[in-house]
Amino acid sequence: MLQLVVFSLLASQAGAGAPASPQPPPTSAEERKQLEEQIGKELGTQAQPIPGVTNLPGPAPVAATADTSKGGSPFGRLLQLPDFSAIVDGALGYTNLSPTQQGLTADPLPQKLVQPLLQEVELAVQATIDPYARGDIFITFSLDSVEVEEAFLTSLSLPWGLQVKAGKFYSPFGRLNQLHRHQWVFVNQPLSQQRLVASDGLNGPGVDLAWLAPLPWFFEVHLAYQDTLPGFESPSDRQLTGVGRLIQYFDLADWATLGVGLSWANFRAPLATDWKNLGGGDVFVKFRDPASRGYVTVQGEVFARQRAAQTFSQATWGGYGQVVWRLDREWEVSARYDGAPFETVIPAGTAPLPPGTQSSYSLLGTFYASEFLRVRLQPSWQQIPGGVNGFQVFANFEFSVGVHGAHPF
Amino acid sequence: MNRTATRIVSMPMPLALAAFLFATLLPTRASAILQVVTTTEGLAALAREVGGDRVKVESLSRGIQDPHFVDPNPTLAVKLRNADLLVDMGLELEVGWLPPLVNQSRNPDIQVSGGRRLIASNAVDVMDMPTGPVDRSQGDIHPSGNPHFLSDPRRAERIAAAIAAKLAQLDPAGAAYYQGRLADFDRRLAAAMTRWRSELAPAQGAKVVTHHNSLRYLLDFGGVSAAGYLEPKPGITPPPSHLADLIGVVKSNGVKVILVENYYDRKAADLVARLSGARVEAIPGDVGGSKDAADYFSYVDALVKALAQAKG
Repeated sequence: MLQLVVFSLLASQAGAGAPASPQPPPTSAEERKQLEEQIGKELGTQAQPIPGVTNLPGPAPVAATADTSKGGSPFGRLLQLPDFSAIVDGALGYTNLSPTQQGLTADPLPQKLVQPLLQEVELAVQATIDPYARGDIFITFSLDSVEVEEAFLTSLSLPWGLQVKAGKFYSPFGRLNQLHRHQWVFVNQPLSQQRLVASDGLNGPGVDLAWLAPLPWFFEVHLAYQDTLPGFESPSDRQLTGVGRLIQYFDLADWATLGVGLSWANFRAPLATDWKNLGGGDVFVKFRDPASRGYVTVQGEVFARQRAAQTFSQATWGGYGQVVWRLDREWEVSARYDGAPFETVIPAGTAPLPPGTQSSYSLLGTFYASEFLRVRLQPSWQQIPGGVNGFQVFANFEFSVGVHGAHPF
Repeated sequence: MNRTATRIVSMPMPLALAAFLFATLLPTRASAILQVVTTTEGLAALAREVGGDRVKVESLSRGIQDPHFVDPNPTLAVKLRNADLLVDMGLELEVGWLPPLVNQSRNPDIQVSGGRRLIASNAVDVMDMPTGPVDRSQGDIHPSGNPHFLSDPRRAERIAAAIAAKLAQLDPAGAAYYQGRLADFDRRLAAAMTRWRSELAPAQGAKVVTHHNSLRYLLDFGGVSAAGYLEPKPGITPPPSHLADLIGVVKSNGVKVILVENYYDRKAADLVARLSGARVEAIPGDVGGSKDAADYFSYVDALVKALAQAKG
């Protein structure tokens, strides 16, 4: 369309003077480039390509159509609708630990009571906006809140391997932080992720610039600037955050892929107790016979958090490691170790619990009834500083309705 | 030119080195050979047939893989980054893994509406398009129609022609070359189709059972029909009640052969065969799906050989 306008303008300008003589169409890429440059020069604009349209001889691509249809297609408007979907997570939860003993967690449970939970309803609206960008919007509902979990545009046509994400989104920090609840293997996030990175994910409005390096393997660098809400204990709440991430993937064999990442976040820290730096390293290995639905993945992340008043050597560390074995189309078993600094709220008048590491050992069994419905059972054994042990169980179901866009690896 | 050279020379050495490395690493399309990426080995085989030595073809999935369930491994996005042409099947066959790879690739021309994207289903007549309401109580169906059309040589011919036309559009200097190779492919395919029809003649009118509704187009080519499927609904694992029903269907329809792509677990097929007197034939799911299915012709050879036994 732009080309038509440009040519129409040129034709009208030519027509103002002497009668225009028809010009032969450009016959080579070089001539085409020269013509584009000439047009750009005369219009005072750069010869920017419309994604997917320029540099190709012949007509511009159009959507596939039927040859004829009386009265047009009755489904035309429907074809332009975005992908809509809703994903629901519900569970029964049980623990023998008191809320104080459970420590700070996004999934607290009452002690010794089988608790029904509606963990989340996610509503997703996803579509391509125009030839230059796509839009993804995720609204989450719980029993007591509604939140814009993410709402961002992603560029599709920047040069030099660049891609921009703008809006509200999960920070490009680590592996789990960028996943929605229904993408988690386990029913809950590791406590190390919750306490050292963010209870509900490091997330906020901002901009992320990503560069895919022109190398033979996947080598991507992210630089983001966001207003985030880190961790449980941030006295000044929202903080401006700079995030950097390097993620690489290598094909070790037809049946093995290795992903390694390094992440770093720097917080503007007006208070001494605010977070200042957060570092993370992650590794992911997937073994899969291409002819099989089964696979094994090994994944781990470590996190280090430094507050403004701390030196780097005083940083707090934590992390998790997990193994997932997808047996076949329907069954999956998994195990996870999670080590996190024990942080809790002590009720007034009670003695503080000793500091240290809270270790969680979780097993998980998953049954996939279909691609759109899974049921999970997750028992966990908790070791709390001071010699207190306890357990926690989640029986979860999750289903999706509608069309939900495919997830990245 | 001189001013630019002076600037580079006056840069600090590390910065100049970094700028040089960055410039040399920028993606380019300088190569005369077109980089064609396909989603399946079958499409890759057709692209090689018509593209010859003017193209370098790579498939994102392998013939031994179920094309519905390919991992969207980011290393595949690297292959798409410099693709001069992406050919995919369409009809939501690759919906679970291709879109995020295309988004990660930074290649705007291979987006759905891009000039370097060819969706093969746009070149063929599509079967099994739902005519009534569609929901997932019917299983994981393809709402736009059956995407497993590459097993039908008549449709392969159409797709090869579409690829040749697209290659000619992208590489006008090679247009005559692509048309020549397409004509040669069509000639060999016509001869093969005559042979395949002859081999399938004894099976005409027979009924078979398949795992998934993935041989619809081949059965149509051979005049054979499906009496039932191992899956009760697309993507759903068969419960014992369905297999018990299917054994009855196999017996009442005189089904002799159960065809199962070799990426499916064949336990259920073996059980039905044992209890019904039919025989299981493992077939390649695509070109490259078995050792004797190295190209498109040998792939269809393997399918026809199995299907020809439909009447025992």
